[in-house]
Amino acid sequence: MNRERWRQLDNLLHAVLARPPEERDALLRQACSRDEALEREARSLLGLELEAHRFLETPAIEVAARRLAQQSRENGLDVAVSSGRVISHYAILEELGRGGMGVVYKAEDRRLKRYVALKFLSDRFARDPTASNRFRREAQTASGLNHPGICTVYDIGEQDGRPFLVMEYLEGETLKQRIHRAEGRAPLDMGTTLGIGIEIADALEAAHRAGIVHRDIKPANIFITGPGSARPGHAKILDFGLAQLETDEQITNPGTALGTVLYMAPEQALGLPADARTDLFSFGLVLYEMATGNLPSAGMRLGAAPAGLDRIISKCLDTDRGLRYQRASEIGADLRHLKLAAGSAKSARHWKGISTIGAVMIAALITTFVPFHRAPKLTDKDTIVIADFVNGTGDPVFDGTLRQGLAAELGQSPFLSLISEQRIQHTLRLMERRADERLTFELAREVGERTGSAAVLEGSIAKLGSKYVLGLRARSCRAGDVLDDEQTQTGSREDVLDALSQIARKLRARLGESLATIRQHSIPLAEATTPSLEAWKAFNMGFHTMFSAGHLAGLPLLQRATGIDPKFATAYAWLGRAYGAIGESELARETTRRAWQLRERASDQERFYIEFSYHRLVTGDLEKAGEICDLWAQTYPRDPIPHGFLGSSASSSLGKYERAVEENKKAIELDPDDSMGYANLASDYIFLGRLGDAENTLQRAAARKLEIPDFLGHRYLIAFLKDDAPEMSRLAVLGEENSEFEDWMRHKEASVLAYTGHLRQARVVSQRAIDLALRKGRREAAAQLEAAAAVREALLGNRAEASRRVTPAHGYSNWRDAEYGAALAMAFAGDSSRAQRTVDDLTKRFPDDSMVKFSYLPVLRAVVALHHREPYKAMDLLQAANAYELGYQGANSVGFAGSLYPIYVRGEAQLRARHGSEAAVEFQKILDHRGVVFADPIGVMARLQLGRALCMAGDTSKARAAYQDFLALWKDADPDIPILNQAKGEYAKLR
Amino acid sequence: MEMERAVHTGDRDSQEISRLLRAWSDGDQSALEGLTAIVYRELRRLAHYYMEAERPGHSLQTTALVNETYMRLVDYKRMKWQNRAHFFAVSAQLMRRILVDHARSHNVKRGAGVQHVSLDEGAAVGGDQQADLVALDDAMNALARLDPRKVQIIEMRFFGGLSVEETAEVLRVSPATVRRDWSIAKVWLYRELSGDRGDESGTVETTR
Repeated sequence: MNRERWRQLDNLLHAVLARPPEERDALLRQACSRDEALEREARSLLGLELEAHRFLETPAIEVAARRLAQQSRENGLDVAVSSGRVISHYAILEELGRGGMGVVYKAEDRRLKRYVALKFLSDRFARDPTASNRFRREAQTASGLNHPGICTVYDIGEQDGRPFLVMEYLEGETLKQRIHRAEGRAPLDMGTTLGIGIEIADALEAAHRAGIVHRDIKPANIFITGPGSARPGHAKILDFGLAQLETDEQITNPGTALGTVLYMAPEQALGLPADARTDLFSFGLVLYEMATGNLPSAGMRLGAAPAGLDRIISKCLDTDRGLRYQRASEIGADLRHLKLAAGSAKSARHWKGISTIGAVMIAALITTFVPFHRAPKLTDKDTIVIADFVNGTGDPVFDGTLRQGLAAELGQSPFLSLISEQRIQHTLRLMERRADERLTFELAREVGERTGSAAVLEGSIAKLGSKYVLGLRARSCRAGDVLDDEQTQTGSREDVLDALSQIARKLRARLGESLATIRQHSIPLAEATTPSLEAWKAFNMGFHTMFSAGHLAGLPLLQRATGIDPKFATAYAWLGRAYGAIGESELARETTRRAWQLRERASDQERFYIEFSYHRLVTGDLEKAGEICDLWAQTYPRDPIPHGFLGSSASSSLGKYERAVEENKKAIELDPDDSMGYANLASDYIFLGRLGDAENTLQRAAARKLEIPDFLGHRYLIAFLKDDAPEMSRLAVLGEENSEFEDWMRHKEASVLAYTGHLRQARVVSQRAIDLALRKGRREAAAQLEAAAAVREALLGNRAEASRRVTPAHGYSNWRDAEYGAALAMAFAGDSSRAQRTVDDLTKRFPDDSMVKFSYLPVLRAVVALHHREPYKAMDLLQAANAYELGYQGANSVGFAGSLYPIYVRGEAQLRARHGSEAAVEFQKILDHRGVVFADPIGVMARLQLGRALCMAGDTSKARAAYQDFLALWKDADPDIPILNQAKGEYAKLR
Repeated sequence: MEMERAVHTGDRDSQEISRLLRAWSDGDQSALEGLTAIVYRELRRLAHYYMEAERPGHSLQTTALVNETYMRLVDYKRMKWQNRAHFFAVSAQLMRRILVDHARSHNVKRGAGVQHVSLDEGAAVGGDQQADLVALDDAMNALARLDPRKVQIIEMRFFGGLSVEETAEVLRVSPATVRRDWSIAKVWLYRELSGDRGDESGTVETTR
């Protein structure tokens, strides 16, 4: 039901309820005379009025309390209220506390006349064989321990089938209560810390000797006896409830971790079997908390443990249990040494004096769990590899998602540099592994070694009760030693990404990134990307598919990601890119604009990408796009992507090919396995006419086994520029076999045919390319191909054919390039009104678009001016294009490029103004940039125009050479091409 | 245990609750912990009475008890809030959240650090005896999509213990309107929870 419908129903119900009961029926019938469904619905609800009369009339807290009472009774906890009740020979006095598994009472042992504590297992657990086994096991193991530092278990009993433990009754408080004061957390003084520490160490030693591991050492399980006790101020370890016999592994399912996560040793968090050293890790944390009042956490630099103790603690906390203390007695001995030393020190002040040095050290050590003598941080020259997460939750949504999430989180860091996905896939292929193979730690480490990386990150997620435990560990690739180890837990599935962000940020700090840059570049993952794990997963898969199987294949997954989370900025940005790459510029613009609107939800690095894409694809402001890339490259100096963009897109459009070469070289240097880097570099070399360098670049890529369909295009261009016809035909065949490139290849072929004067054949092939594009639904590409063919016809003098093609082109798409191409064709063919309309339309639709402002509009306006016989005005208008005139303007790989047209039109204007030598300069420029012009019709027209210009300038011999050049190129040309006949006539006169 | 058994000094509690509520409504999530502890304490106290009440020889006036509890928890008259209405809304919302969470947790939380018990952390306790508050919460979420005001009324009356008049004052509508809204919301929720749906409401999704 929608809100509108509900409002209707609600109004009706209000009206009905406002009436006395006897009038209601009539009102309903009258109000719903034309809406039977509404009446039915209203009656259905009203019919329940009586039945629901008592519903919700009891206040919620009463409902909850009655439930609680009922539940307590069911669980047999009702003894709580039966002070004085006697069970066996124990008289219940009061409840001491309760937990999920049971309840503890203070009782009097009537036979021995002493207080005891009775611990009952709740019914639910008593019925559960696993739980009651564990409970009995606790009794057995704990009763085997007789040590002043361990709470004694006297007996085990059973009441109404419910087992209970009889334990030593203690007065005092737990260590947790001792530290967590009402006024805040308070550390214990050093003497107490050491004293209690020694007692715990002794007690643990005794338990461990008996083969019993506690598995849950934490301040809440350590009791400090109170002043009323026989021995006040001493430590007792409580609750061996989770203890298990070291030799008996089957009781606790190895996969289910049980300890309290905060104090857990890494091996426990990973679900590995615990041993005595597991307790020693937790004990280290307890020591730290006693000494400082807090648990070690990121960025904490205050009140850390004093010198001496820090060494002991750090040795407890080594992630590798082989490097920890091996026995509790060793800790006990070290603590005793320390106590002696402290006793001989002059005063307590002295402690504090040392502690300032220790403070910094211990904070660094403890928080990183890194052994004290080592400082194996990373530098900003190092790269890292992320292994796949170990997903112990059984929930497939975490597969891949967390790894990608971590990559996004760490990607925000200008300090850390990740080995790119392409490079990992590539390296895996070199290792003769599948590119999509699961990246286990070992595999990741090998990839790391092969890519010269410093570290591997391994992550894990496990479910602990209703909580998720996330772990993250950095290990060096060479020695495998642990650089950092982070853990956190979270209560809900939805918070997992957020928790991941938090530990990833800690990890950044521990690995050496400055806090300033972390603060500057840290947006929580859930905000930066998406709070939806499903959307994240779809995005993740789409992203990878795009790189491994092409943009078209990745498209549906990215669409799915934005479908699940319609505010997923980054997914829109990449979706925009995918649309752009398959030639759907309008969709690309729309999607990229959406990403831009949502850019606040992206991380810094993603935002660079989004803003760049926005200017490249939406506003078309290439200068702005370039500025963003500059800033991006400065902020993230090791990110290859901005260099790639700076090289391929922005600079090329500006015609700064030398700079483009530099940027692309940098991109390749930063990621030597990024095939697009080679493709862009090869293009730039081709534009510069440096064919040898272009070929070398392609060979370098081939040597690294990088091969993408784009390279075929490069080879075709090179073959064309070298006049290598057999190679061209070979490549054309290859290109046509590649379905994604078929229309593109056909178009190139058609251009080459027209270039050599085989216009009729060119038309046939062009038509095939257009049909192919249409069949694939690429209407925009079809429109551009049609426009390109129309321009060709117009330039070669076939006005009628040009206008015939313009109409369908416009029907397919009104995308910028197609519209421009169509208008240009019409303008060349003599219809300047069309050009004027397009000028107006493009000005309105693309006010900031560099290509429009600095190339399309000046060219169209100048052609119109020429029609009006205003060559000087045309030249003036073309000045707007000066900075861009040498740019390569094929924004994407399909269709009409239009590079160097400003130059061509300026040459034409000079001719009209009767400035022969000036015109010759312009046409010569075109002939000098064959790599940019390729087989564009202005390439062939420039030869003829150069002849005309030189003739006008009075240089007959050079003019003759230019005409001959043209006629040689067109020696087999179709005889009916208008300009061919004009050229022949002009040449005849020259002789 | 001392804390658990502490004698309730209304004034101190009131001030503390007022402070925590303010902090919570200002976005301080940690205040929730303090409030939850107080509500749970009251909940246990009440439960304790109910258990006693069902033992022979006891006859407690439990309605008065509940009123007293609400008074203690949300003593509206003594709260010096600039925006009384806002306070009503916040405290009702909070009660809903705490009680529903309590029901959802399937687990009786204990007080801080007591001897011999550290069983709560990580221990999963099964059973769903308290599922009805949770189901109600879900149904309320579904209703909120259609009619947020009705959900507020349920929140204030059922969870917050407000009277019709108080609710009307907060929402600035007439008591008669509150009564009708209350009836409509009740039947709607009742039908939702009893699984007996009309044709059109079938499109309203509940998550349970």
